[in-house]
Amino acid sequence: MNTPLNTPRDASVDVPDGAAVAEISNLRVEIDGRPLVDGVDLRLLPGRVTALVGASGSGKTTTGLALLGEHPPGARVSGEVRVPGGGPVGYVPQHPAAVLNPARRVGALLYDIARERVRDLPRAARRTEARARVLCALADAQLPQGQALLRRYPHQLSGGQQQRVVLAQALLLGARVVVADEPTTGQDALTKSRIVEELTAVAAQGIAVLLLSHDLDVVRALADEVLVMKEGRVVESGPTERVWLTPRHEWTRELLSRQPQFSGGEEPGGAPTGAPVLHLQDLTARHHRTQVLHIRQLALHAGECLAVVGRSGSGKTTLARCLAGLHRNHDGRVTLDGSSALPRSLRDRDRGQLAAVQYVFQDARAAFDEYRPVVEQVARTAVRLRGAEAPAATAEALAVLAELGLTEEQAHRLPGRLSGGELQRAALARALLARPRVLICDEITSGLDTVTRRALLDVLAGLRRERGELAVVLITHDLDTASLADRIAVLDAGEMVEQGTAARVLSAPSHPFTRRLLAATTR
Amino acid sequence: MSGPLSFVARRLLLGGAQTVAVVLLVFALTEALPGDAAVALAGDQPDPARIAAIREAMHLDRPAYERLLDWAAGLAHGDFGTSLTSGRPVSTYIEDGFGPTLLLAMITVTLLVPLGVGLGVLAARHEGRPVDRIVSSVTLGVYAVPEFALGVLLVTVFALRLGWLPPTAVGYGTDLLGHPAALVLPVLVLLSRPVCSLARLVRAGMVDALDSPYVAQARRYGIPGARVRYAHALPNAVAPAAQQLARTVDWLLCGVIVVEALFVIPGLGTVLLNAVAERDVPVVQGLAVVFGVLTVLLNLGADLVAHRFAPRAGVAA
Repeated sequence: MNTPLNTPRDASVDVPDGAAVAEISNLRVEIDGRPLVDGVDLRLLPGRVTALVGASGSGKTTTGLALLGEHPPGARVSGEVRVPGGGPVGYVPQHPAAVLNPARRVGALLYDIARERVRDLPRAARRTEARARVLCALADAQLPQGQALLRRYPHQLSGGQQQRVVLAQALLLGARVVVADEPTTGQDALTKSRIVEELTAVAAQGIAVLLLSHDLDVVRALADEVLVMKEGRVVESGPTERVWLTPRHEWTRELLSRQPQFSGGEEPGGAPTGAPVLHLQDLTARHHRTQVLHIRQLALHAGECLAVVGRSGSGKTTLARCLAGLHRNHDGRVTLDGSSALPRSLRDRDRGQLAAVQYVFQDARAAFDEYRPVVEQVARTAVRLRGAEAPAATAEALAVLAELGLTEEQAHRLPGRLSGGELQRAALARALLARPRVLICDEITSGLDTVTRRALLDVLAGLRRERGELAVVLITHDLDTASLADRIAVLDAGEMVEQGTAARVLSAPSHPFTRRLLAATTR
Repeated sequence: MSGPLSFVARRLLLGGAQTVAVVLLVFALTEALPGDAAVALAGDQPDPARIAAIREAMHLDRPAYERLLDWAAGLAHGDFGTSLTSGRPVSTYIEDGFGPTLLLAMITVTLLVPLGVGLGVLAARHEGRPVDRIVSSVTLGVYAVPEFALGVLLVTVFALRLGWLPPTAVGYGTDLLGHPAALVLPVLVLLSRPVCSLARLVRAGMVDALDSPYVAQARRYGIPGARVRYAHALPNAVAPAAQQLARTVDWLLCGVIVVEALFVIPGLGTVLLNAVAERDVPVVQGLAVVFGVLTVLLNLGADLVAHRFAPRAGVAA
């Protein structure tokens, strides 16, 4: 909010570096009487990173947007948001692509912002000065080759570049406060550590950063101060190290507690025996004519969980899509149960083959039809792939959904009325109704907060105990998630650089890339 | 996705192929017509001997592919053949008719773009409020009135009752510019429906764009309102509007027969109507080729514009 300076608040005792550049006191935002945020107090100091942590829906984004003077439609707001000095507040949203105009080059908005800032210069000098400022802001946002980027469209940039361009907009604006909403969600370990460096550099310029995140590793690496939110209230706040070492609130302890172990149970770490349920030989996958993935051999045994790990763009998802018959442009042999070669395309697979390999997508919301109740869509798999009668299929769907922790009432809702974690369980149930031999889980936990993610991984572990024959392929960029598998395969730039038991890969990685990935995670 | 250059190249190649297809199709369709030019020329008392003689004189007895090659070779040099009824080259027909048609189309498009876009942006800015309601219902209402009905209405009111404007362009020949009053009513009729469809499309695109996170970001960072609307939101509404505009220009250039007939304007539509009435096959063929090529060119242009403003969409070539 661009509130002009009313009464400059004098520096209080507990503030060493001068007055706050932004301050929220006793903020309450409610919609239809239901509070989204209640009684939040927040002070942002120049050069300091303050983190708001909490599960999704705990009010982090509502608080962050309040700082920008923006509230959800129909909200009743009380309390005070003050930005002394009246400077603008920068905003880096969770999906930076959404705030970049798809029809304009990246430079368009940057130049417009710069032009507004050089109004007072003589007309002749404006253009060169605007240009210099744009390039300077890009350089400050860790984009040294900004010149070339300006002429590109947003879709021609990588996700990381898009984020830095959005950050550059805020720097160009001269913002003294930047709100970064989940900047590391869905990013691999190396990208995450780069984002941490970026935001550290921003704070080093004397800008106050408000970090909204459920990524606790990043919060710990970055934040000076942490506020833990639950259901719209701040339950605990304090310096990061203090909160980490001696959490006072029960919820904080739950948030910080380690993830549980997750394994097949019977033969932990034991070498898989017998014929593989899925075997892959000499796979070369291409996008158009570019080769994106090459794998000599990969086997998956019944009851085994294989994690496929790598950065974004390393070919993990392409591998999964080849197995599931979603990516046709490959030559290579994928055999099921050692006998029949699976046809390359989904269209050529028969019902049995389709049922045998099931896929759970990253974005559960996009994987459901928003106009039909969840249970109908889950039951449909049994009807389509196993020829079950509709009533029997519905009964089975409800049973599996209940097993995964969704009540009958929730099952009859439309997808829009379920949370991300609940929908992902429904997506798992939908795949299970095919009674698959192989379940492919493509980044199913990325984008979920720690608590929800842990619950989902528990569900997956439970599934594997109940269904001893089920083989799971876990596509993930998150080494913590991967550590719960029996075996890990590491992909880099379309090549499988390493594979072995999870314990061996994580404790004694043989390939330099794996070592770098591990180092980036544990820093 | 390959780069923009290769998109242009691919689209141009496809345009060339479409043009060839148009030429082949026009020839095939005229071949498929019952009877031929000789039958038409023989008049009301078809005497088989006379028909055969005409056929021989016009080389219609030669195999179809030879005639196609001749005709296509002529087209490549801009030679459309000669009219059966008058013996004048077909190209003179096209040149004569093209002037008035082009004039009408140019005036219409010049008024259409600012009007349509302006109304669309205006409605989008006031989405759901009275201004939007009025613009939306009036455009829907006007769009529902066919040209001939609106034309007759306008002529009755402004020309016959009030006497402000001439009812038709009779007597002015092809020199329409010298008599601008005669152009007012035809242009109004031509404008009526395209303005409505364009305004509605721009409104829909602008409503989406103004509601988008990137426009919110531009506003948040203090970009002035008009600049946000026209420089940041409007480009996202341009792609669908450009396709619609291409269809409209195509319709304007390829003979707006009803309007030309109503106001007696000697444009391409009138030429086509007369040629069909007189069974003047070469003229019909020539016009069909011109219309076909114009359609190909305009859609090519629209695709390039759409590619520029929606680079992601990968316009189906």
